[in-house]
Amino acid sequence: MAQQFWQQWWSRTRDLFKPLASAAGPLPGDWASVRLNALGRTLLGVLVAWVLGWSVVALNRASSLADRHLDPADNVQVMRAAWVAPSASATFPVQETSSVVPLPDEWARTRAGYSGSVWYRIHFDAAQSGREVLLGAYLERACATVEVQLNGQVLYRAGGADELLSRQCYEPHLLTLPGFLLRPGDNQLDIRVTGFALDQVTARQRAGGLGAVSIGAWSALRERADSQTFWAITVSQIIGGILVVLGAFAMGLAWVRRLPYLWHFGLLTLSWAALTGRLWFSSIPVESRWAEVVLAAFFTPMTAFAVKFLLGYAGHGLQSERERAQALWFNRVLWAQVVLMPTSLLALHKTSWLFDAARGWYTLLGLEVLAAIVYFIWHAGRSRRAEFLVMSGTLGVAAALLGTEMFFQYRLMQSWGWNITYFVMPMLFAVVSFRLIQVYARALQTAEGARAQLEKRVQEISGEIQRNFTQIAELRVEQIAEKERKRIAADLHDDLGAKLLTIVHTSDNDRISTLAREALEEMRLSVRGLTGRAMRLPDALADWRAEVVMRLGQAGIEVEWRHPMDVLDEPLSARTYVQTTRIIREAVSNIIKHSQASHVVITTEVGEHNFEVVIQDNGRGIPLELDGRLDRGHGMASMKHRAKQLNGQCLVESGPGFGTVIRMNLPLEIETVASVIAPGASIPSQRRGDLPPSI
Amino acid sequence: MKQILLLEDLPEIRAWLKTLALQVFPGSQISECARIHDALQLVSAMRFDVAMLDLGLPDGSGVEVVQALREKQPDVQSVVVTIHDDDEHLFPALQAGAFGYLLKEQSREQLAEQLHRISQGEPPLSPSIARRVIQYFTAQSRLPQQQYGNEVDSVTPHVQLTDRENEVLLRVAKGFTLPEIGLQLNLSRHTIADYVKQIYRKLNVSSRAEAALEAQRLGLFRR
Repeated sequence: MAQQFWQQWWSRTRDLFKPLASAAGPLPGDWASVRLNALGRTLLGVLVAWVLGWSVVALNRASSLADRHLDPADNVQVMRAAWVAPSASATFPVQETSSVVPLPDEWARTRAGYSGSVWYRIHFDAAQSGREVLLGAYLERACATVEVQLNGQVLYRAGGADELLSRQCYEPHLLTLPGFLLRPGDNQLDIRVTGFALDQVTARQRAGGLGAVSIGAWSALRERADSQTFWAITVSQIIGGILVVLGAFAMGLAWVRRLPYLWHFGLLTLSWAALTGRLWFSSIPVESRWAEVVLAAFFTPMTAFAVKFLLGYAGHGLQSERERAQALWFNRVLWAQVVLMPTSLLALHKTSWLFDAARGWYTLLGLEVLAAIVYFIWHAGRSRRAEFLVMSGTLGVAAALLGTEMFFQYRLMQSWGWNITYFVMPMLFAVVSFRLIQVYARALQTAEGARAQLEKRVQEISGEIQRNFTQIAELRVEQIAEKERKRIAADLHDDLGAKLLTIVHTSDNDRISTLAREALEEMRLSVRGLTGRAMRLPDALADWRAEVVMRLGQAGIEVEWRHPMDVLDEPLSARTYVQTTRIIREAVSNIIKHSQASHVVITTEVGEHNFEVVIQDNGRGIPLELDGRLDRGHGMASMKHRAKQLNGQCLVESGPGFGTVIRMNLPLEIETVASVIAPGASIPSQRRGDLPPSI
Repeated sequence: MKQILLLEDLPEIRAWLKTLALQVFPGSQISECARIHDALQLVSAMRFDVAMLDLGLPDGSGVEVVQALREKQPDVQSVVVTIHDDDEHLFPALQAGAFGYLLKEQSREQLAEQLHRISQGEPPLSPSIARRVIQYFTAQSRLPQQQYGNEVDSVTPHVQLTDRENEVLLRVAKGFTLPEIGLQLNLSRHTIADYVKQIYRKLNVSSRAEAALEAQRLGLFRR
């Protein structure tokens, strides 16, 4: 059971770090397990932070221990004790009472409250190492200034002897012990350290004291000094340079993206770089107490930036009104700190409370940053952010460094040699800024992708709109045309139709009324051609049959209509229907009027692409002698013309006594008509299938 | 003596329709009007035997008058006199209860004969109208009966054509003339005419039932 739970928890936690997995919300209904998971993740984050932080501390210790255990083969002698005499005299005060102190000598312990110069005398035997080896002395730490004399001769001086404007607290000192000054047997190395009491500085690192002193082969010492300088100073300097670049980049990014937390990160990075910058200038031309206050004052804005960055990056102040009010309050407190800390330190800088006050401030600031870190880890864990583990690790290391630093200030922990904070902290900055840049790059990439997608979609949609518009325009044109045709048709009926009708029914002259009737029929057919819908061929054939049979029947002529058994349900355009109707009507009129036939056979055939109507009568035929032409008064020309207009043909065969055969062959226009019918608008669907096949 | 309603907006045509009516029904009393409004007033005011109605009128369609007559004077033979020979114009009039139609451009003799036949109970039926009627009844039979429930069915019985009526309709639709069909089916001319009359009547009844159902569906009609 428990195992299952852990597996589930782990798989969910692992899902966190897959991109976009966080987008999927938790299932509703299992809030308890969601909370449990959030708690689990927070614990995981704290664990990661703790492991990393502790390893940093361990690294610090290990590196320090490694420093202290020298390889005996290096032929280096580490001085563990020295005669000591606090005095400002030019040489070691032999006459004054001196005592022996173990090295390293931290004034805060051995002479609390003492500021000024202290002489140390170290005896060593130069003969041990032989004359052929160049000897050197290595001072791990001498704060704040140092002067070295060998057998009474001034050998080395770092920083002013008395004015104490410079601080050499961070860098090691390496000096050669020239052979001509060395005596066989016992030699005296006098070291004068001038420094401040702990309570007059704002950081324990800058309190007076002398670190371990090593004497031995110059080359071996040189190696150690180089490595110490490199790690304590050079690396910090290089990283400081990188930090300037990163900070500037973050600021640029912040300016482009208008993200407050990026501003804060950039400012934090830059101020850290500025703080590191003092390693480039070991001599500050300001009175030491002022310098101390200024250096300490650096930390409040940095704290403010750090806290603001962490809160901003966690998304604090965005969700609710309450959080916004909180953020405002935080801002006030942080600003007040920035003013209050230097003021309080300045007020105390003449007293011996300076260090304690500074230490108190550091603690407060450190706790603020720690709180912000905890808040961030808690928030990142809760909102399943992808960078949860990375940030937890980074912040854990940062917290560990802060702790180390504070423990050191309280002297709860030893710090030997080089300062790991200056070395690791910038790395953390680098990690965070790379993460920020990555976030930015990813966001940029996402935005680009989204934009490309959007563009594509816009193109698609505009294409669709274009197509729709074209369709609508076509439809609209179609509708307008339809409407217009209907209007014309109505006008024709109402106006021309009425007039023709009046002629039909009022004229006394038969010929005129017949002409008018024919004109009316023509008009109606024309209108039908204009407005009519496509027909089915069987329907058209039925209409023709009905008309022909009725008319010939009324004229007393026998009719035989031969019909194919099964007429395909082909569509027929209104135009073809109308023109064919006219041709047939004309032919029937001719038969009734002129042929004197008693019998008419009409045969229809439907092919694949055309249909044929043959009208055969047994009349007297069309007499040729009339002008030598067939069609005088018989409308043959117009029949042929109409058939031609439909891309068909109309042939008339006639001979006296043989009757007349009118053979018309017309195309079906399947494609054209089918396209008209297809949208379903022109013919009701029942019209096409409901009729049973021909009888 | 027959009472005839004549609705036509054009004076000349009204004049010759009047002579036509007098020719077919000698000595009849003819009430002329040119507007639907006037015609409806006449319909309410007096009884008619025959109505000759134009369709396209300045204040609407003659179908309105056909409907009014069907409701108020069901025995009147409404004849549509129109210039439109297509089913699109004629079918609504037939649905509304018109008993026949005359095409205006036909010769006076033809018109007289047709009017006479209509008055004798032999209405015309063209292939295109026959097709429309077939379509209409096919669509009706496809309507699910349970759609309106049994209650409604009792009020508006589902109208169906008989096999013979269907047979006649189909043949007309294929282009056979009524006399031809009479020959084919070995039926007298009057029997065929009766079928056509029945078809028109059923078309009207069914259409009215349909309209009533539609009205009920829209909540306009309550039992």
